[in-house]
Amino acid sequence: MPSVAIDKSSGSRTVPGVGEEPRRLFLRWQQDGDELAREALVRRYMPLARGLARRYGRSSEPFEDLLQVASLGLLKALDRYDTNRGHAFASFAVPTILGEMRRYFRDSGWAVHVPRAAQERALKVRDAQERLANERGRAPTVNQLAEYLEYDVEDVIDALQAVQAYETLSLDAPRPQADGEAVSYGASFGEEDGRYELVELDATVTAVLKHLDPRERMILHMRFVDDLTQTEIAQRIGISQMQVSRLLRRSLEQLRALTRSS
Amino acid sequence: MAEHPIVSLSLANRPENLLVVRQALTGVANGLAFDALAANDLNTAVSEACNNVVMHAYEGAEGPLVVEVCALADAVAVIVRDHGCGMATGAQATGAGGDAEDHAGIGLPVISALARRVDFSDVAGGGTAVRMEFAAPNAGSLGTLGEDRSESSKRTADAHADSVELRLAPSPLARAVLARVLGTLAARVHFSTDRISDVQMLADVLAANAADSIDGSDLNVGVRLSPHALALRLWPLRSGGGESLLNSDTDGFAPIIERLTDERRVARAGAGEALELRLVDHPWDDNRWGLRLPPAG
Repeated sequence: MPSVAIDKSSGSRTVPGVGEEPRRLFLRWQQDGDELAREALVRRYMPLARGLARRYGRSSEPFEDLLQVASLGLLKALDRYDTNRGHAFASFAVPTILGEMRRYFRDSGWAVHVPRAAQERALKVRDAQERLANERGRAPTVNQLAEYLEYDVEDVIDALQAVQAYETLSLDAPRPQADGEAVSYGASFGEEDGRYELVELDATVTAVLKHLDPRERMILHMRFVDDLTQTEIAQRIGISQMQVSRLLRRSLEQLRALTRSS
Repeated sequence: MAEHPIVSLSLANRPENLLVVRQALTGVANGLAFDALAANDLNTAVSEACNNVVMHAYEGAEGPLVVEVCALADAVAVIVRDHGCGMATGAQATGAGGDAEDHAGIGLPVISALARRVDFSDVAGGGTAVRMEFAAPNAGSLGTLGEDRSESSKRTADAHADSVELRLAPSPLARAVLARVLGTLAARVHFSTDRISDVQMLADVLAANAADSIDGSDLNVGVRLSPHALALRLWPLRSGGGESLLNSDTDGFAPIIERLTDERRVARAGAGEALELRLVDHPWDDNRWGLRLPPAG
């Protein structure tokens, strides 16, 4: 099978060079220090920086900040581009600009900041989900959430996943009810144990069920025996649907581990 | 031997399918404990490769987009394939054609700036494959051995416009990838967050329990989308595997699959079986609501 490896120094398999007009502009800037030529080049290639800022680090940082960093990379590329080497400017400038953005991300602690921002979005999605479900009596769709919060659909989908992962977050903390009274979970469900045997599941599962937290057992019962929707369960016990979802997935996983080991 | 993908996705080269690919990759990146920067590099580069297939591979027509993820000792390789007109059109993205490409054709420079290594090859019978490697210190633990892929590679060439095919080798990533892909597709057919969560739960159960029923090592999940419905097909299951997955008498999840799906059926597939599941979510005439309303009159 024929195979072509990209030459990483140029990022291009072809040698297209650069057009006559930009070549003159590059000469005027790089040899004569002509600021007007530089401005013309910036105008010409700004869409490239803009395109990269949009592609890289999607929705994780204010776009204007990203664009500023990308523009800085563009200026460096304008200084260093060698018109005689025959590479398209884009294939020279893209690694320079991306390098600038990656360095900025590393230096600014972006890798720490991004998960935190995602977490905040996830909590906003959770709250919006709850609000819309209460208003309409039915859980919203992803598109409705995206529209309501003015988020990308992708951000909402990420948030639905992320909420599952935040085991230790405030999700489990008591939250005030409408009348201002805080509900603390766990304790209040202990006494209702007997009502929530999952009688329809088989003996093996029933045997391991007693290892589950009473609240999780109750939620399993409501979902799989009473056939309530997650939103209905959430409204009955005063937690969010996404928390119900997370608890259900976690209890099923625990059940699975317990049945496998028994 | 040929690289054996741990995840393989086959879908139509439609723009909306990029989100499915990105979600699958996010599942991979999370599973391999990528930091945000590495995950962003992976997703940006692969999105560019897929975008090229969406825009250029079939000259405006529709065709299959195949994305495979392979685990190497210290890296993941992502291969993006099309069965289109080959490198001639792919070159549009290299920046060939002089100055006019300035900002339109930055796909390949972006890929080569972000991936550790990039290779292009022709696909037998027409088309192009872009293979991108990304450093992943934990990838070695996933295991790279498996059956040869030539058979399934052929099969993935006829992706239907409204369907997505996912092939999962047994790996710790399978569950997260399946949940993300199915969740994204459920969102596309306007399932409520309730029902999306059911779909994710079903993915958990299937990924965890299917291993005992599969004939071979890899699980294929075909998803057909229609308004407010997802039809899932799981294969190849050994003879009796479909029933045992539905009525599994050891771990008692049968009632759970039953609750989470609207229709279930075991179909013959070659020498073995396929399990077909259907999930529906109607925004306003949801049957579950209907049953609760007091009888008319």
